[in-house]
Amino acid sequence: MSQQQQMQLGSKERSLFKQVVEHYEAKHFKKGIKFANQILTKNPNHGDTQAMKALIMNAQGNVEEAFVLCKAALKNAMKSHVCWHVYGVLWRCVKNYEEASKAYKFALKLEPESQQILRDLAILQMQMRDYEGYIKSRRMILQSSGPRGKNSNSRQNWTGLAVAQHLAGDLYDAERTLTTFEETLRNPPSKSDNEHSEAVLYKNTIIAEMGETERALDHLEAVFKNNLDRTAVMEMRAKYLLQLGRHQEAEKAYRALLERNADYRAYYDGLREALQLGTSDTESLKTLYDDWAKKSPRSDTPRRVPLDFLEGEEFRKAADQYLQQMLHKGVPSTFANIKALYSNSAKRDTIQELAESYLNGTHAPLMNGSSEKHTTGEEDSAPEKSPFDMAVLYFLAQHYNYHRSQNLAKAMELIDRAIAAQPDEVNFHMTRARIWKHRGNSRKASENMEKARSLDEKDRYINTKAAKYQLRNNENEAAIANMGKFTRKEAVGGPLGDLIEMQCMWYITEDGESYLRQGRLGLALKRFTCVYDIFDTWQEDQFDFHTFSLRKGQIRAYIDLVKWQDHLREHPFYSRAAICAVQIYVRLFDDPQLRDESLNGLNGSLDKMSPSEAKKAQKKARKAREKQEQADFEKADAKKTAGAGVDGESKKEDKDPKGAKLVGTAEPLVEAMKFLSPLLEFSPGNIAAQQVGFEVFLRRKKYIPALRCLSAARSIDSAHPRNHEQAIRLRRTLSTLAEALPPKISEALEAEFSPLVSP
Amino acid sequence: DPTEETPATAPPASAEDRKAAAALSSLDNQNDDSAAQTTKAKNIDQEALAKAISRLELSTGAKVEPSRQSENMKQFEERKRKRREEKERLAKVKVDAGDVGLLVQELELSKTKATDLLKAHEGDAVKAMRAFVTAPV
Amino acid sequence: MDIRVLQAADIPHVQSTNITNLPENYYLKYYLYHALSWPQLSFVAVDVSRPKRTPYDPPKIVGYVLAKMEEEPENGIQHGHITSLSVMRTHRRLGLAEKLMRQSQRAMVETFGAQYVSLHVRLSNTAALHLYKNTLGFEREKVEPSYYADGEDAHSMKMDLSFIRAQVDGEAGDEGDEVGDMGKK
Repeated sequence: MSQQQQMQLGSKERSLFKQVVEHYEAKHFKKGIKFANQILTKNPNHGDTQAMKALIMNAQGNVEEAFVLCKAALKNAMKSHVCWHVYGVLWRCVKNYEEASKAYKFALKLEPESQQILRDLAILQMQMRDYEGYIKSRRMILQSSGPRGKNSNSRQNWTGLAVAQHLAGDLYDAERTLTTFEETLRNPPSKSDNEHSEAVLYKNTIIAEMGETERALDHLEAVFKNNLDRTAVMEMRAKYLLQLGRHQEAEKAYRALLERNADYRAYYDGLREALQLGTSDTESLKTLYDDWAKKSPRSDTPRRVPLDFLEGEEFRKAADQYLQQMLHKGVPSTFANIKALYSNSAKRDTIQELAESYLNGTHAPLMNGSSEKHTTGEEDSAPEKSPFDMAVLYFLAQHYNYHRSQNLAKAMELIDRAIAAQPDEVNFHMTRARIWKHRGNSRKASENMEKARSLDEKDRYINTKAAKYQLRNNENEAAIANMGKFTRKEAVGGPLGDLIEMQCMWYITEDGESYLRQGRLGLALKRFTCVYDIFDTWQEDQFDFHTFSLRKGQIRAYIDLVKWQDHLREHPFYSRAAICAVQIYVRLFDDPQLRDESLNGLNGSLDKMSPSEAKKAQKKARKAREKQEQADFEKADAKKTAGAGVDGESKKEDKDPKGAKLVGTAEPLVEAMKFLSPLLEFSPGNIAAQQVGFEVFLRRKKYIPALRCLSAARSIDSAHPRNHEQAIRLRRTLSTLAEALPPKISEALEAEFSPLVSP
Repeated sequence: DPTEETPATAPPASAEDRKAAAALSSLDNQNDDSAAQTTKAKNIDQEALAKAISRLELSTGAKVEPSRQSENMKQFEERKRKRREEKERLAKVKVDAGDVGLLVQELELSKTKATDLLKAHEGDAVKAMRAFVTAPV
Repeated sequence: MDIRVLQAADIPHVQSTNITNLPENYYLKYYLYHALSWPQLSFVAVDVSRPKRTPYDPPKIVGYVLAKMEEEPENGIQHGHITSLSVMRTHRRLGLAEKLMRQSQRAMVETFGAQYVSLHVRLSNTAALHLYKNTLGFEREKVEPSYYADGEDAHSMKMDLSFIRAQVDGEAGDEGDEVGDMGKK
């Protein structure tokens, strides 16, 4: 507590204040508030106590009151670093990092020695990627406790400065900082010191990033023997040798890596490059992979990769051997592992011939007899029953179901033969469901997947697939019931509550898309907003690791985290949900009636009716909604009384279960921007994102950004029909504007737009 | 007493979940493995450390004498100097407040982004907007 | 299928594979906790032959092992623990689970000096029991009653890793005589 604040309190209040702080740190919020109130009854305007109370209220979730109280505290104690520090924390929690860093800096001016404020400011600057500021703060942390101070004695603070410099691009400063600390060590740290072993590798990656590969290799070889991360040092050394063209040593290094893991294509690619084999040297490549296939019989990679580069008769022989081996073992993923080859139609046809020959037994069984089936008198059992034949049926059914080799009738015929022979095989029913899906019959697909699920009640995988196909058939109730077989019973909000809490992205998105198909836009928006919120949580998750990782010492993994977080929302989990949400908001802009949730069931068919019919339909729909709401209310009420023992609805009761507020927005295009901006920033190469972006900007009358989306879409896929259609609409809109655009805008539009549209 | 708090989410039921929750809540406590920290601190030569701290002020930028700089380092420092000069040059470019407002409004950019875009095109709003439209994907 | 070390960018799909296959699920932050404390120990099986639909498609994860070192090992013996392991039903019978486990076990010994590795498995999960006991060589230590959220009991299993320690020391011996001089370059 700041000095003059302390003087205002008696000794009893001062000890109470210390307890308020302790309760806050131990997350005992109710007790913290109680003690704070005791102080405030005697000293109502004690700023620091008000600030601490605000901090606790914020942690309890009442953010607005916390801000109000904290502002009052600041009025009472303008010079108290505690109040400014708390004010910074409040701004940080609502992710207004600019305001938070201002408040922290102000608090720091008042209390320059405070390690807590300095550390909070540093983490905030790292979260904001303000690397210049972060370097300053990291330097202050190192120096703030004096030359012999605690801070400079712990390696993590030196590494912290190096990380800041590295991320800011000052690679030589970063290396120098790491070396400076190493030179203060009297003798080499113990071999099991992970922090040292990792700091040394981190420095090595910085030297490599400078482009000084030679020096990086020398530095690595000096520490190679004792470093604890064997895979990392071996991979880095092999990469440097390859980059430096030292091919014999690189070959040796990649063979050593393959000894440890013969199932990683990157090692084979490294070995191939070290041996300077081009993709055309198929002869020597084949022997290379064959050697490894013999060396590690249980590895799939050395057997499968040659099929990528072999052609013609060579390909046929290798494919024949590979397929027979896999099918004899009855490996279910054989087709999944092969289908990528079908982009080459010659290979696709060869595989089809081979598989068909297995089916009608005209194939030449494997010479080297690895097919165990031949030894077990397979001939006597019915021809359809042998594992090999079943595997072949299953393979071909998937083959004719795949879009590059599609013959759905044949696929159905084959899978039915397989099911006739083995009615309880889950995978067969799964494939049957997929065939119905490709036939466009989502009901049949859902029924078949549900059948597959019923054959193995304990396996969540098939439960998941059944629920997914139910959602594709818009059976939301049945789907959540299925999922409820595996969600935690005590989860708040039932199965859906558990799935949301456990960030089950696939379900939330599929559920949203199902509601979108049914025109229930409120619920659809609710699901896509949930995906949006989860990404906010994921971005927030990195926060603790800014200090945790420096303490733990695993720096390379931390840098990997930071780099991934910098383009977190490029993930399809985000773009898929965001594109749907933006499409909904565009429809809500175009057809305001849709903003009334109760009319959603009518799916905007009102305009086809006469006015009187429309009014009747609206009245009927509203009555139906009220009845539905009443039913929901009773159900929820019953559940609450039944669950009286349990905490009942949690504090965060969902005030908008149907998403009525979301869909009722008066500013759909403003809401759309919330989803669109990250979409265009992180997935500019996704044409659907650019196309939906065009629709939003056109309606917001922002014609330059609209043109930007159009030209981006053209550069992604110039032949896409929608490009032309959107260009026509933009041309028509610009030529029929109510009032003229600012001259500079139309000049820029004219210059960039006309070349686009002219044939 | 821990039961006093009613958590927003259900308490973790299984031993499995309790372990997960415990690990996450203790992520940011500072004092674990402090014993290991003290033994490591003993291995530090305090004299060298004190010297390093005072030298810290000096180690910004290319303080290594040019003669000892490797070729690569020279190029690196050269690139950094060019970037700094470019930044200073852009800072000096005068931009018209009206143009900044236009870009903020029409291109839905923040004030800083709009200003940077204008500065990168010598303050010419039309050139800036044309570049904005054809920015590579 | 590729077997390689887990990276941060893999985590959303590892989380998705977990919640698709198993009832024991975790927040993304708990995966980060593993990846940033013991990055060497967790591995993924990736279906590399799958063509990318958009330029931003992350690798398709068909199996993973999420592993850690015990934070407070009782009687001070360093040991590893398997938090979660699963392979997509469509990609079984390729030996992926076994390969993931062996890679993780070796790293436990090499990087963190683990003496043994432990895990929990549901009494009813016969497939996993077979893998752990017969293929990998785990031994049942004790039963932990109602360990899982739905009240089912768990086998607590353990596997000694000293045989890996012997291999590692063996390899280190014949790797020439570079003396690690604390990286002072």
